Amino acid sequence: MQVFKIPNSIKKGSMYTFCSGCDHGIAVRLAAELIDELNLKEKTICTTSIGCSVFLYDFLDVDCIEAPHGRAMAEATGVKRARPDKFVFTYQGDGDFASIGLAESTHAALRGENLTGICINNTTYGMTGGQLGPTTILGQKTTTSPMGRFKETYGYPVKIAEHIALCEGTAYSARVALDTITHINEAKKALKKAYQVQLDGLGYGFVEILSTCPTNWKMTPEEAHERVRNELIPVFPLGVYKDITA
Amino acid sequence: MEETKQLLKGNYAIAQAAINAGCECYFGYPITPQTEIGEYLSEKMYELNRGYVCAESELAAINMVIGAVSTGAKAMTSSSSCAVALMQEALSYACSDELPVVLVNVMRAGPGLGYIYPAQGDYNQTVYGGGNGDYKLTVLAPSTVQECIDLTYKAFYLAQKYRNPTVLLADGLLGQMMEPAVFGEYPYPEIDNSSWALTGAKGRAGRRIRSLAPDENEQIIHVEKLFEKYEIIANETTEWEEFGCEDADVILVAFGSMTRNIKAAMRVLRKEGLKVGVFRPITLSPFPDKRLNELADKCEKFIVVEMNMGQMIRDVKLAVNGKSSVDLINRPVGQWLSVEEITDGVKKIVLEKIHAGV
Amino acid sequence: MEKNYIIAGFGGQGVLFAGKILANAFMLCGKNVTWYPCYGAEMRGGTVNCEIVVSDEEVSSVHKQDADCVIALNQLSFDRFISKIKKAGHIICNSSLIKEEKTRNDINYTFFPMTDAASGIGNYKPANMVALGVLSNIEKILSVDILKKAIDIVLPDDRKKLAGFNIEAILSGYENLLPAC
Repeated sequence: MQVFKIPNSIKKGSMYTFCSGCDHGIAVRLAAELIDELNLKEKTICTTSIGCSVFLYDFLDVDCIEAPHGRAMAEATGVKRARPDKFVFTYQGDGDFASIGLAESTHAALRGENLTGICINNTTYGMTGGQLGPTTILGQKTTTSPMGRFKETYGYPVKIAEHIALCEGTAYSARVALDTITHINEAKKALKKAYQVQLDGLGYGFVEILSTCPTNWKMTPEEAHERVRNELIPVFPLGVYKDITA
Repeated sequence: MEETKQLLKGNYAIAQAAINAGCECYFGYPITPQTEIGEYLSEKMYELNRGYVCAESELAAINMVIGAVSTGAKAMTSSSSCAVALMQEALSYACSDELPVVLVNVMRAGPGLGYIYPAQGDYNQTVYGGGNGDYKLTVLAPSTVQECIDLTYKAFYLAQKYRNPTVLLADGLLGQMMEPAVFGEYPYPEIDNSSWALTGAKGRAGRRIRSLAPDENEQIIHVEKLFEKYEIIANETTEWEEFGCEDADVILVAFGSMTRNIKAAMRVLRKEGLKVGVFRPITLSPFPDKRLNELADKCEKFIVVEMNMGQMIRDVKLAVNGKSSVDLINRPVGQWLSVEEITDGVKKIVLEKIHAGV
Repeated sequence: MEKNYIIAGFGGQGVLFAGKILANAFMLCGKNVTWYPCYGAEMRGGTVNCEIVVSDEEVSSVHKQDADCVIALNQLSFDRFISKIKKAGHIICNSSLIKEEKTRNDINYTFFPMTDAASGIGNYKPANMVALGVLSNIEKILSVDILKKAIDIVLPDDRKKLAGFNIEAILSGYENLLPAC
């Protein structure tokens, strides 16, 4: 019988401060489980970002540094270049990774930095209360697109996993979701691959995770996961966009 | 055997001094008049198997430095005025995070894009900061190529010792000129940073370096602690150079390479019978305000000479605190004020004061 | 006692290189010295210059508004710097490329066909070294021996084989300069 327990690299007694039904909790848990399974706790340095993802270091019991908004991949590059023997990953939201930090994210991939990037895509700026972000889909209502995102004014959402896959230094790029048990298991496999390519010195490993934001989407957790299935996955198809080990 | 002097360019002197100081990583983005620093290091750091990244922007470069120094490594970036402006946010973070960032700013003209000729317009940006919140950088201002070396060594040491971002504030003139100098060896002890550096949570809990402060009281304690540290830095590291100030009727104050010109002006004016002294802050932050205040007990006239519209003059005025008059001889950018322009300016100011009965 | 020299010419005439040799030579003489180039976009107009300041005391202003001595390797440089020379100052001109016209009567002139002299020893390029030879004849402190040592310092290892050619050019300037008329 397998007993459900808290991963070793989650701080004992810490309480998630994410909203009910938010997928950040699952994503953090997956990241932590893999740190345990690959025995990385003692060599991990994580750069966190600005947004809801900033709270990661309240839960993860590994060395963490908080980057200014958008600069997680630059700081991670600095960490890795100074200490190539460490396992270095970033944990960022879509706004941090693909809007304000798109240059840093893209160039880290182009340089083929041995880094792992985890990007939580919930199609909105969660921490500031649900504004239009780089991944907000066409038609989606936010506090700064109350009529819905229409292309004439707001342009189009960015497809992050595809974009990163285009960079020559990328070893692995995938998009996953956390709306079903099957998808969660696939997400963990993808994350493991993104960790492994770094450990093997193959280059940049990246996973985009489609996530819920029930509070700002004004939905129940169940409705939010249905939205991921019915509205987001058709726009952001799941899958592996690049894997140089395949 | 004593090292023979070599004719060295300021930018190369700074770059090689960084290597001698044990800089493990350099991250940079090109901008005239400091690009030679990155060019020189690209080859040398590769040969030495140290870290080097041509960053995608100055934003990235300074944050790469933050990442590297967070692990306890020595690292630096170099840039110039309008591009250093892009780094201000990160410098505020690094002060709050207490990280030993080293930044070299070889100043050019501004505001805006300005141009590549030298200027001293970044005094305010560097000393008062363009970033948010209460923080202070440690700022060193060289006036010769030899000092480009000596103060680069010192910048790495002070950054590490006090865990505070330290800026070497040079200018295009110093970066581009050549002058005889010697490197010597890095003269400072290595600092143990094992108590805070991110090295992986081995046999200890995970560490976090952050500036997020959701708890108001924690933030008050944190900022007060930072300012206690700035007080210690002021007591232990404030440095200046002075000549002929004890009997001076007029004290000329300048920083950086302008010091050369006011020293020559002093020699000329002394020969003409005017008792002129020279005062140069070497650390711009902490500023040698106590010494200036002491000198103001005896000297009634201070004249600040700088290549900007009058930036350091505010600190001199605060330091003398109304005891003496403080005047300005300046030009915003470009051709450095000549010795003649300075001596003429001093004479004009002194005569005006006599006519006004001051 | 402080004195400044400006060397100016076309890009490719070795202006900055000659300046470095001159600055190193003064350093070897035990003088305080600085070298300051025009740089960046200023160089894109086709003319290059650098300024060398020599002093018994600490060098004051590194980049001055006037000059004691200008070495002009082409006409553009002559035209640009002639007005900047101090009264009783000196201009040393490459008369292969500069008209022998004395447009001011309060300064000293030396005309020497530097490019022709360089071509005479096989290559027009070291006109800059011929200029240093001419200067060496005028400034007694700058002996040819000192210039030789300075060349050795400035030439990178992979170009040391050019030292002999450069010295020959210096000698051609030094030996063939006629006394001022």
